[in-house]
Amino acid sequence: MAKFSLGSEPVVGSLTPSKKREYRVTNRLQEGKRPLYAVVFNFIDSRYFNVFATVGGNRVTVYQCLEGGVIAVLQSYIDEDKEESFYTVSWACNTDGTPFAVAGGINGIIRVIDAGTEKIHKSFVGHGDSINEIRTQPLKPSLVVSASKDESVRLWNVQTGICILIFAGAGGHRNEVLSVDFHPSDIYRIASCGMDNTVKIWSMKEFWTYVEKSFTWTDLPSKFPTKYVQFPVFIASVHSNYVDCNRWLGDFILSKSVDNEIVLWEPKMKEQSPGEGTVDILQKYPVPECDIWFIKFSCDFHYNAAAIGNREGKIYVWELQSSPPVLIARLSHTQSKSPIRQTAMSFEGSTILSCCEDGTIWRWDAMATS
Amino acid sequence: MCRQDSRVRLSAEEEIAAEESLSIYCKPVEFYNILQRRAIRNPSFLQRCLSYKIEAKHKKRIQMTVSHSMTGNEGIQNHNSFPLYVFLGRLVSDVAVQEYSATYRFSRACILNNTTGEGSSQVQANFILPDINKLALEAKSGTIAILLVSFVGAQNPLCGINPFRGPLDIGSFPSNVGGYCLWGKIPLESLYISWENSPNFSLGQRAEMMSTIDMHTCFLKLNCLNEDNCISIQLYNSETVTTSRQVQVTVSAEEFGAKEKSPYNSYICSDIPSSSLSDIIRLRAGNVIFNYRYYNNKLQRTEVTEDFSCPFCLVKCASFKGLRYHLTSSHDLFNFEFWVTEEYQAVNVSVRTDNWRSEMVADGVDPKLQVFFYYSKPLRRKRRKNLHNANHVHPYVFESNLHAGACKLSEKADDAHSSKGEKARVSGVSSGIPHSYTDPGSVQSLSTHNLAPPAMLQFAKTRKLSIERSDPRNCGLLRERQFFHSHRAQPMALEQVLSDRDSEDEVDDDVADFEDRRMLDDFVDVTKDEKQMMHMWNSFVRKQRVLADGHIPWACEAFSKLHGPDLVKTHALIWCWRLFMIKLWNHGLLDARTMNNCNITLERYQNQPSDTQG
Repeated sequence: MAKFSLGSEPVVGSLTPSKKREYRVTNRLQEGKRPLYAVVFNFIDSRYFNVFATVGGNRVTVYQCLEGGVIAVLQSYIDEDKEESFYTVSWACNTDGTPFAVAGGINGIIRVIDAGTEKIHKSFVGHGDSINEIRTQPLKPSLVVSASKDESVRLWNVQTGICILIFAGAGGHRNEVLSVDFHPSDIYRIASCGMDNTVKIWSMKEFWTYVEKSFTWTDLPSKFPTKYVQFPVFIASVHSNYVDCNRWLGDFILSKSVDNEIVLWEPKMKEQSPGEGTVDILQKYPVPECDIWFIKFSCDFHYNAAAIGNREGKIYVWELQSSPPVLIARLSHTQSKSPIRQTAMSFEGSTILSCCEDGTIWRWDAMATS
Repeated sequence: MCRQDSRVRLSAEEEIAAEESLSIYCKPVEFYNILQRRAIRNPSFLQRCLSYKIEAKHKKRIQMTVSHSMTGNEGIQNHNSFPLYVFLGRLVSDVAVQEYSATYRFSRACILNNTTGEGSSQVQANFILPDINKLALEAKSGTIAILLVSFVGAQNPLCGINPFRGPLDIGSFPSNVGGYCLWGKIPLESLYISWENSPNFSLGQRAEMMSTIDMHTCFLKLNCLNEDNCISIQLYNSETVTTSRQVQVTVSAEEFGAKEKSPYNSYICSDIPSSSLSDIIRLRAGNVIFNYRYYNNKLQRTEVTEDFSCPFCLVKCASFKGLRYHLTSSHDLFNFEFWVTEEYQAVNVSVRTDNWRSEMVADGVDPKLQVFFYYSKPLRRKRRKNLHNANHVHPYVFESNLHAGACKLSEKADDAHSSKGEKARVSGVSSGIPHSYTDPGSVQSLSTHNLAPPAMLQFAKTRKLSIERSDPRNCGLLRERQFFHSHRAQPMALEQVLSDRDSEDEVDDDVADFEDRRMLDDFVDVTKDEKQMMHMWNSFVRKQRVLADGHIPWACEAFSKLHGPDLVKTHALIWCWRLFMIKLWNHGLLDARTMNNCNITLERYQNQPSDTQG
């Protein structure tokens, strides 16, 4: 278990907006009555950088952000099970470049929707409980990883439909896994966090042969020798409550709990003994009124900024890579009062989308600065 | 071979109705056919016992009874000759003892007492002889005879001991005793000739013969050595012969077990000449008439089986009594009435309408709604797989196309239960049964082979049931729903579901090894070799499932053999292993002898490469 080091105090960002950028509401969309839990831009395919997907209830909707604040509905998928409630969606793609929208939720079934043919490409069963987050490996966009209430994280190959690895067991999470993220450059590495208050870093280096095998597997997917990865390489107790979102920032990790802040910290692993190490908390990004769980932040493609909503419908946009952190903007609107579960920053960060508990989607666009 | 009873005249409609009612036999008969099929390869214990009994029965033997016959005027005189000892003795020719004129070997002696004597004594002596045909050879050799010995009236019984008094436990006798006595003999040859000439003896009738035997005075010596009981007889000169007496005995003989015979087999009724009687007996032996009642018992069909065979499962039941027990216990879907007369032994069969439907799925019931049990993992005992599977299945499919001899059945259970199949069944019965029945002699053409269907109901012959049908049915259940792998929770393909492989408790050795190595890597105060040694041992123990203390000695020897070549390559490694063994010895888990064995094994590996190099 990693411990705090007594180096230097973490740098806490100031809540005074720098006004580097100004955002204004350009559109507001009522998708339905049911809460929207996820919104995400497609960063996988440069042709579709302005395409995003939302999930709420048993519906997955694909939109396009057009000029002048226009949002166009492209596709809408409704799961045949009315009880389904999608919690997460991620963009992936086939090896031939067909974009996939991969969604999961309360049923624990991962739906891989082929947005090219507008059909279900595959459905992955395996998780024993609801799926809280799905993320795509940007270096190999056929690989997705899913975090589940069943305390496991699974690595899937959406192209072949194979469950390659299961990150669970003796060293695994002890409660729901709420968030998971691929390391941006180290293809073997993922970080996951959840209701056991920990962040765990896993390595699949020793299991990479299986990942490669999954691409060439021609036999039945159920016959694939799925492996269990039982021990993470690093366990961090940065937070004292549910950790509901974590993202890699280089080799550092951004994570948040219900403490009104995002924390940037560095996992310091000991060379000799995996699993142990220390945590160096570098910076803190305060987010007022963000004390309920399942509020997730998003970053632009280059991780220059992160946007996060709060319980009162306000959005805080932080400059991530400056020290001390700079609050780029604080977005608020009189009619946005519902908790914002998830935001989506566009490729450049010029557009911020938020999806709310009341089923609305808000579009904020950065004002042109002269 | 079923005969239609022609007593009742029926209209066309009635006949159709009658045929319809006969079809009630279809389901139970088919059901028993299934059971019979299963029993072919694995007969039940009871029937294996029965076959022994049948064999024993075919081994015919003769029971011979020797008794003293009293006639009025000789009563007093004969009284003196009691007790009378009766032996069945074989003349020993090779015993060259000069002074004795004859030596007989015997196995058992019987004492005949006067009827007025003690209650425990016998009035007749019983002997079991082999079958008359086997007896012929023995009889003609002239060596076997019934010996009668009486001590009463003989002079000077030696030592005052009557060697034969008391229980007939020969072993308790002094080994060599002798005495004077009276003796007489009946050669078996004479008996045999009289039996052979008796017309009815070979047919199981009783043969009696009364004979008067001259008793001679002799010196008799008893030898009881090595389980060989011999009596040697020395005859005296003609002077003593005058003192001899005469004893009248009755020798009766009959086939063993004849008393158990039923009136059907006794043949006392008839005025048939004995020459044709033998033929009739041969014909009638074990023949049982089965009357199948139907159409409210108004009609019946008749079938005859031989060897007391059951018409449903062809089991030979040895006797009519056996058949009765078999039918009531094994075929309780029918009602049976048994009756035996001098003319025939018959069984009236009718279908039990009250309860057989509960045994099988009634018409109109969806078999899918019935409760099934299925065990996908066959028991790894000696039981046959098909037998096992079928045990848990209601045999609800009884389709048979009776028009065609070999019927092709659809594998789909759903079809088989359709009403279409029902119709085919009903109409098939009537046309499938031959209506001719000639004379009783035709019964003899039936096969005696156990499994061949001799006098079976025709519709019982057409079958393709049992095993091959029960499996697809079970498969159907497995096909209906999705199964998941227990560890990965991945949906299983059908072929995986149906395969025999069970991965329920599998351990992924690759991952386990990897995790173990990683766990060991955490140790900082352990050398590389120690870690490797630990890893090898952990891996070995996991793979071999070394769980208990008692497994340790075996594990050490096996480990030395398996990893010996690797261990001896590295000096440090082999010492790690030796130190570990010492640790185990310290804890009392490893004995010194086993440790020595391990070290010998290791030394052998150590010497091997040096030998090849040198």
